[in-house]
Amino acid sequence: MRNRATCFLFFLLAMGLSSCEKDDICVEGNTPLLVIDFINVAATTQLKNVNDLRVVGLGTTAVVNTTTDRTDVNTIRVPLKTNEDTTSFLLIRNSATNDAGAETGDVDTLMLSYERVEDFTSRACGFVVNYNNLSASLVGSADNWIDRALVVRAQVINSDSTHVQIFH
Amino acid sequence: MYRYFISVGSFLLLTVSLGIAQEDTIDLSPKDSIVYQQSYGLRAGVDLSRPIMSSLDDNYTGFEIVADYRLMEDLYIATELGTEDRTKQEDLYNFTTTGSYLKIGVDKNTYANWYGEQNSIFYGGRLAFSSFSQTLNSYQYFNSNRYWSPDGFALGSTETEEFTGRTASWLEFVFGTKVELFSNIFMGASIRLGFLLSDSDNARFPNLWIPGFNKVTDDSRFGVGYNYSISYFLPLYKKKKKPETLPQGE
Repeated sequence: MRNRATCFLFFLLAMGLSSCEKDDICVEGNTPLLVIDFINVAATTQLKNVNDLRVVGLGTTAVVNTTTDRTDVNTIRVPLKTNEDTTSFLLIRNSATNDAGAETGDVDTLMLSYERVEDFTSRACGFVVNYNNLSASLVGSADNWIDRALVVRAQVINSDSTHVQIFH
Repeated sequence: MYRYFISVGSFLLLTVSLGIAQEDTIDLSPKDSIVYQQSYGLRAGVDLSRPIMSSLDDNYTGFEIVADYRLMEDLYIATELGTEDRTKQEDLYNFTTTGSYLKIGVDKNTYANWYGEQNSIFYGGRLAFSSFSQTLNSYQYFNSNRYWSPDGFALGSTETEEFTGRTASWLEFVFGTKVELFSNIFMGASIRLGFLLSDSDNARFPNLWIPGFNKVTDDSRFGVGYNYSISYFLPLYKKKKKPETLPQGE
C-alpha cells in the first residue's frame, strides 16, 4: 500500500515538473542599444543638451525610433546594425523643415565601427548580438557642430551605461 | 461343510490382510510434491511509441530496444538502448539533435502476483549516457528594436553549423508496469524522471534537447520521458518461489 502511494506521488511529481517549464517568452536577453551622451566641450564633465535633435540612420529616411524627434536631449540610445560591421547616423541639430520640405538643421555624420559577437542567451531568446571593439568617427566637414566623439566603453553588451561621448 | 471352510478361510484372510494393512500407518499430512516454480530469464523487446512517433512526425526519428533480466524474486536488471534524431523549430532558430543513448539500472517489482501470473508494477533507477551532435540549421537575431530590419528579425545565418562529440549523463527514476498479454509476450509502459548530472560544452550553442533525456529546460536539471514497450520473455531456468511467512495469529 505504501509503495502505491509512493508511486502515485512520483507520478504527480513528474506531471508537476513537466508542466513547470518557463514560458517560451524572451525576457532575459536582447540586442543592446548604443548609449550616446552629449557633453559640453567647454566643461567636459557636464552633459549639454542638443537642441531639436533629429537622428536618422544613414541610408534610410526614417527617424531612429528610440529617440523623440526634434527635442532637446543630452543622451540618446541608438540601434546598431546586426548584419554589418559599421553603422552611420546623421545627427541633426536645430532640425527643422523649410517650406520646400528640405532639412535646414546642422547635419553631422557619426560612423560607428565594431565587431559583432553572437551570443546565445536562452531557449526563448535564441541569439542576440553584442558588439566589441567599438570605434566612433566623424565624417569630416569643416563646419561640424560636433567637436569630437570619444568611445568610453568599447564593449556593448547592455544599454545601462554610456558607450560614446560626443563633445559639442 | 464347504460353507464353513469358506467363512473360516475368508475370516483368516481378512485378519491377515488387516494385519498387513495395519503395518502401514496412514499419513495424514503428506508432502505436496507439486512445487510452484517461477521462470527466470531474459526479456527483450522494442519501444512502440518511438516508431509510431517517427511515422507521424516528420521531424523525429527514434528507435529503442528494451531488455531486462530477472535477477531475484522481484529484482530485475534493466536496460534501454536507443537512437533519436529530432529537428526543432524554435521562434528564432532551428536545430537538429542526433545521437544515441544507453540506460542501465534496476527495477523492483512491487506487484504480488497470483499463482501463475508474471505481471509487474515496478519502480527503478537508471544511470544513463548519451552521445550526440547538435546541428544549428538557421537562426535569426533577437532584437526588440526593428529600426534596421522593419520586416522581421535580422537573419543570422542559414548555413548549418554542427557541434559534434557532445555527451550527457543523467540519473533516471522509473515507474512502470509490464503485463503478460499472451504466453511470454509482455506489454509495458513507463514514465521517467531524469536528473541531468552533466552535459558537455555549451558555450556557443547549448544542449536544448538530449536523446533519451528529451527537452532540457533553462535553469533546471529535470527532464521527463516515457516508453511503451512490447517484449518477449525467454525463460532460462526455473526457481522455486520462496515460501511466504504468514503473520502468526494468536
